[in-house]
Amino acid sequence: MPLWLREHSWRQTLSAVYLSLPLRGARATPGSIFCSERYLKVSVPPFLFEAVLFAPIDDTNSTAKIGDGNIFFTLYKKEPAMWDSLTLANTDKEQLQYLRENAVLKAQEKAKEETKARKITKQEHKKYALEATMKLEEAERKRIEDLKEKERQKVAKELELWKNQQKDGDTYKSIQKEEELYQEIEPLKERKNEKMNKTQIPNEGTSKTRFKSTKGCSCSIFSQNLKEEQLPAPRAAATIKVNFTPRVFPTALRESRVAEEEEWLHKQAEARRIMNSDLSELEDLKEEEKNPDWLKDKGNKMFAMGDYLGAVNAYNLAVRLNSSLPLLYLNRAACHLKLRNLHKAIEDSSKALELLTPPVPDNEKARVKAHVRRGTAFCQLELYTEGLQDYEAALKIDPRNEDIEKDAEKIRHLIQGTMQSS
Amino acid sequence: MSAAGLERPQVVSHVQQALSYTVFDCKWVPRSARLLCLGSAARGTGLVQLYELHGARLELLREIEKPKPIKCGTFGATSLQQRYLATGDFDGNLNIWNLEAPEIPVYSVKGHKEIINSIDGVGGLGIGEGAPEIVTGSRDGTVKVWDPRQNDSPVANMEPVQGESKRDCWTVAFGNAYNQEERVVCAGYDNGDIKLFDLKTMSLRWETNIKNGVCSVEFDRKDINMNKLVATSLEGKFHVFDMRTQHPTKGFASVSEKAQKSTIWQVRHLPQNRDIFMTSGGSGSLHLWKYEYPAQRSKKDSEGSEMGVAGSLSLLQNVTLSTQPISCLDWSPDKKGLCVCGAFDQTVRVLIVTKLNKI
Repeated sequence: MPLWLREHSWRQTLSAVYLSLPLRGARATPGSIFCSERYLKVSVPPFLFEAVLFAPIDDTNSTAKIGDGNIFFTLYKKEPAMWDSLTLANTDKEQLQYLRENAVLKAQEKAKEETKARKITKQEHKKYALEATMKLEEAERKRIEDLKEKERQKVAKELELWKNQQKDGDTYKSIQKEEELYQEIEPLKERKNEKMNKTQIPNEGTSKTRFKSTKGCSCSIFSQNLKEEQLPAPRAAATIKVNFTPRVFPTALRESRVAEEEEWLHKQAEARRIMNSDLSELEDLKEEEKNPDWLKDKGNKMFAMGDYLGAVNAYNLAVRLNSSLPLLYLNRAACHLKLRNLHKAIEDSSKALELLTPPVPDNEKARVKAHVRRGTAFCQLELYTEGLQDYEAALKIDPRNEDIEKDAEKIRHLIQGTMQSS
Repeated sequence: MSAAGLERPQVVSHVQQALSYTVFDCKWVPRSARLLCLGSAARGTGLVQLYELHGARLELLREIEKPKPIKCGTFGATSLQQRYLATGDFDGNLNIWNLEAPEIPVYSVKGHKEIINSIDGVGGLGIGEGAPEIVTGSRDGTVKVWDPRQNDSPVANMEPVQGESKRDCWTVAFGNAYNQEERVVCAGYDNGDIKLFDLKTMSLRWETNIKNGVCSVEFDRKDINMNKLVATSLEGKFHVFDMRTQHPTKGFASVSEKAQKSTIWQVRHLPQNRDIFMTSGGSGSLHLWKYEYPAQRSKKDSEGSEMGVAGSLSLLQNVTLSTQPISCLDWSPDKKGLCVCGAFDQTVRVLIVTKLNKI
């Protein structure tokens, strides 16, 4: 049960009521005061003071001063009239309750409205601030624009002045020049007739069109002759040979072989995946014998041991399984060369070369080998020119290989020899 | 933008002219307010248009059509009175035209087998001494020097060694023409080679490789003892070489800058101040640079031979004018700060760069 505070004292004027409430040592905070139009409550636990006011007051303007163990209220009356007493007498419990609730509700509403009003004012302030900054920035921009415009105009005027100067200067100069030149023409004409004049004079026939501020024509030809004698003769013609820096990777993108390299890699990948499905004959083969790579290795081993026929067989089987691996054809060509099946060697090298397109640094070695083998086959068939062609192609791919160089030289000699003897 | 920012040189776009053809080169006519645009019309013929600056617009004075598209032109080798234009076209022909009577060229030769990418002239316009000469660089890998008094054959020919695969020559420039005998040609190729040919001794004086194709080379002045050479390349890089001191093995000292993310198409030095130059880029932007010399331009290396010291670069201003590459740029030799540039969006723009006096 709260303790009621009853030792309040009050006095009034026509428009205000001054209420003093001693607190008996308790501390009051602004939160402990609740005031509405007709109801005033002070709750400082354990003390409680409430008053249903005689007449409505203006609670927004009324103040409360807390200090010195005392609260001093200044309540402004809504209607200036003298109150009989501070509180309404004869208030029964229900009325009191009702008044209290009403007061609370009203207070709540007021609070809500206040927040709304505050929000609106805040927004307005923001808008105003924004507009103000925008105006400032506009002004700044305009100022800069104006400065630039002024510059532009100033510069344009200068340009005009300069242009007019040019024109005047030019016409003046041209008049002067003509006078000078007319004076010079006479002795020049004599000089010309004396000398053997080899140089042709173009534009002799053209009319003296005066094109704005350029000079008249026929005078200028003479002046040119005059100047020519002061100029040195044309340089003696000579040639300077240049070498260009070889382009190492990375090349300029527009020249890069990226597209071709991609193609080559793609092709290789494809080739490895293809399996020629000729399974009927191959059923009795062992698992590993169906693998073209294994067969290729077998073939290589047999070639190394000198069993060329066996190697050819291995390669044949491999080709049947996968006909797009260039290395198989390349190696088979080598075997055929050893077996002196020259036409077959040529065929195989050609097939290998076909499969080794597009030409990229990756398959350089293979291509060199293919060319060399085909070249050898041609030479052994005594088709020396074709052979030489292949050797030269090989050289182009790999210019630093000395063996190929030597062989190419030999073939050239052979060709010259046969040509001489025929 | 602070006030200090406005003290830098500003690039003011004065006139913009839309053209109905692709412009490859634009040049001021010396001693006048007129400019030339060279290019290729849609139907595959060459066009030369002569404009005059009238207030805020360009007035077309003359239009000349030629059978082959024209790639480049120069006034460098003619006298001030004649002002003949030397052009290189897509077919490898070098022609010199008198613009008042352009039906028949004053000089014509089929100099190259493929398009002439770049042309430069020296000895004319009252600048420098010695015979007027024209150099052309072509896609066929050769660089040829011509004298307008000698028909049909070049006075110097820089060609690849027999059997060597050729590289396109993209740009050429004359330099070091300070007396009657001395002359040097610098050529840039598409594989990044820069070669310096000495015409007096007819030999290769220096070469280097800057890894990316060289789009444009220019000496800061053609008619002085060679001082600086700027070479621009693909991928936004350019190099400034100090040409006063050549080291026997290391060549010339250089400083390089990576400015724009795209190709730097052209570099042009301001005729009135040889330390200021403008680079134009593939993103349609122009950058104005200033070169500052180091405290000492040369120093001795460990073996006692002289080597050059490169200076530093500062960016004075940059501006983006177009979305397409600005492929050609020319400063007016008569009015400081006036320049013309042509871009692949078929417009030619006359620009004025202000406050160059205060640099």
